[in-house]
Amino acid sequence: MISIEELNPIFRQVFDDNSIDITRTSTADDIDDWDSLTHMNLVMAVEQAFKIRFALGELQKLKNVGDMLDMINTKIRT
Amino acid sequence: MSQIIITDSQFNIGWLCTGRQCTAGLGEKLAMRWVSPRFERQDFSFADLDRLSNRFANVLASLGVGKGEVIFTFLPKAPEQFTAFLGGLKAECIVGTLFSNFGDDALVDRLADSRARLVVTRKNLYRKIERVRDQLPALKVVILTDADEDISSNVLSWNHLMSAVSDGYVVPVTTPDTPSVLHYTSGSTGKPKGVLHRHRSVLQQSRTTREVLGLKADDLFWCTADQGWVTGTSYGIIGPWSLGISQMHFGGGYSAQHWFELLQNEGVTAWYTAPTALRMLMREDCDLFRKIDLTRLRSIFSVGEPLNPEVIVWGRDTLGKDIYDTWFQTETGAIMIANRPGIPIRPGSMGKPVKEIEPGILADDGPPLPDSEHGNLCVRSGWDSMFSTYLNNDTAYSSKFRDGWYHTGDMAWRDADGYYWFLGRSDDVINTSGHLVSPFEVESALLELPEVAESGVIGAPDELLFEKVVAFVSFHPGFEFTPELELKIRLHIANRLSSIAIPQQVFPVDTVPKNKSGKIMRRVLKARYLGQDAGDISTLEESL
Repeated sequence: MISIEELNPIFRQVFDDNSIDITRTSTADDIDDWDSLTHMNLVMAVEQAFKIRFALGELQKLKNVGDMLDMINTKIRT
Repeated sequence: MSQIIITDSQFNIGWLCTGRQCTAGLGEKLAMRWVSPRFERQDFSFADLDRLSNRFANVLASLGVGKGEVIFTFLPKAPEQFTAFLGGLKAECIVGTLFSNFGDDALVDRLADSRARLVVTRKNLYRKIERVRDQLPALKVVILTDADEDISSNVLSWNHLMSAVSDGYVVPVTTPDTPSVLHYTSGSTGKPKGVLHRHRSVLQQSRTTREVLGLKADDLFWCTADQGWVTGTSYGIIGPWSLGISQMHFGGGYSAQHWFELLQNEGVTAWYTAPTALRMLMREDCDLFRKIDLTRLRSIFSVGEPLNPEVIVWGRDTLGKDIYDTWFQTETGAIMIANRPGIPIRPGSMGKPVKEIEPGILADDGPPLPDSEHGNLCVRSGWDSMFSTYLNNDTAYSSKFRDGWYHTGDMAWRDADGYYWFLGRSDDVINTSGHLVSPFEVESALLELPEVAESGVIGAPDELLFEKVVAFVSFHPGFEFTPELELKIRLHIANRLSSIAIPQQVFPVDTVPKNKSGKIMRRVLKARYLGQDAGDISTLEESL
């Protein structure tokens, strides 16, 4: 079970900002550098860190960090 | 019909967009409806903008920053962006805007070259400036819009500064040739160049706002462009406000649902956006659009890259609206060629020249070419929003003009009815999502990685982005291309340059093709990527 604390360092690495503290309700609007292009970096980093793969359609459903965390944990369990 | 009125030889853009509107009786009219990423609404009248920008002009004076000195904003979309921009122009500073996703190298290139004296930014973006500040000896002050208190003697609080000064300011009578706005643009070689404009640009920006975008006094206009780019300042600030027209600005990012709810609920009447955004909307479920009432929306315009005919068909079928493609560059400052209401749209074309603009298709050796022949798209020099120079690089500026023609770097042709058709760039510059990316800058940043031995970067066709950045990389002995290294490359480019420069594909190669003088042969890379004949490779020193 991945926790938000385990996900946070990935966000800090991808967005090059050690002040980032994500919560389940965080969205792209809360992190200045999070756009559609850096989002792909985030996806790749998460996939590599947790050895999972996202399908394109799955990513479009994610509304916030909480959704992403839930999806990561679902994939890890399966 | 609204039109700009110049009185007493006052060309100051900051004043024309605020104080002039107040003296014309529009002080209490809505200038900007600001919608935050959390959908909180805040309305600013022209009198509000006038007072706030006056305050910022006074802040600049209190800090000893004045006429001819360069200041920058480095902000995401935020109300302070507009206040600082207009206040800086009132003080006759040269005002630049930086895209908030710029990385360290991109910041140094721009802030050092311009010898910027002051930057307005936010705490979490300041960390990027802090890392490179020792390379910016001219930088005197940083102002943080979200700091309650001053951080140090030269990192100051916006609120603190703004509350300590008067909201009255006498704007100096500003000549039309006084320098005004600075945007950096990428070329195929060398560092980005600072495109400098003059206050007289407002004439062309207001003219095209009226005659191309067709804006009227009771409109609500939404330009989605970030203020870090020329569209965001020419049409997200100057054009509409110089005519006393209300604008909406949204602080959030792309979301089809949110965007269309805003169009409907705020009653936007004219919308200016980008082809990439429109192509993203085309991928959405049509049901989303059927639930939205776009009765008030009269016109949709697009700028940045060529608009493919499929988007125009989609606009008619799905939205019941025409989408008008427009063309201009950072250097032209305002729309030069456009499809627009009143002229039949030729899907896929750039449209026709706007009034008082004379484009031409010229051969490589100079003479104008007849209709249907492919050549260099040029514009007869002397239009009101023509850039005045590349900052600190008059040689590059001069090289753009020959025999009274400005050479745009775009290739095009003109049909028998006077419509222009874009063909591509005459150089290696990559147009991705409407933003120009220098392959040289990406190649240079890639070489900063210890694993990378050589790099060659090209633009390749992309259905969504128009062109995508593609990198060919050879590695030093002992390094293999792995998914982890690909991610490292992507993060490095995002953090050194910008998210727009991230290579969408990275190909490992043994060597990068170069000619005998060591120049990277990008056309060879591009031909091989596209599976085409590379043409003459007699000067090729090494092969892939």
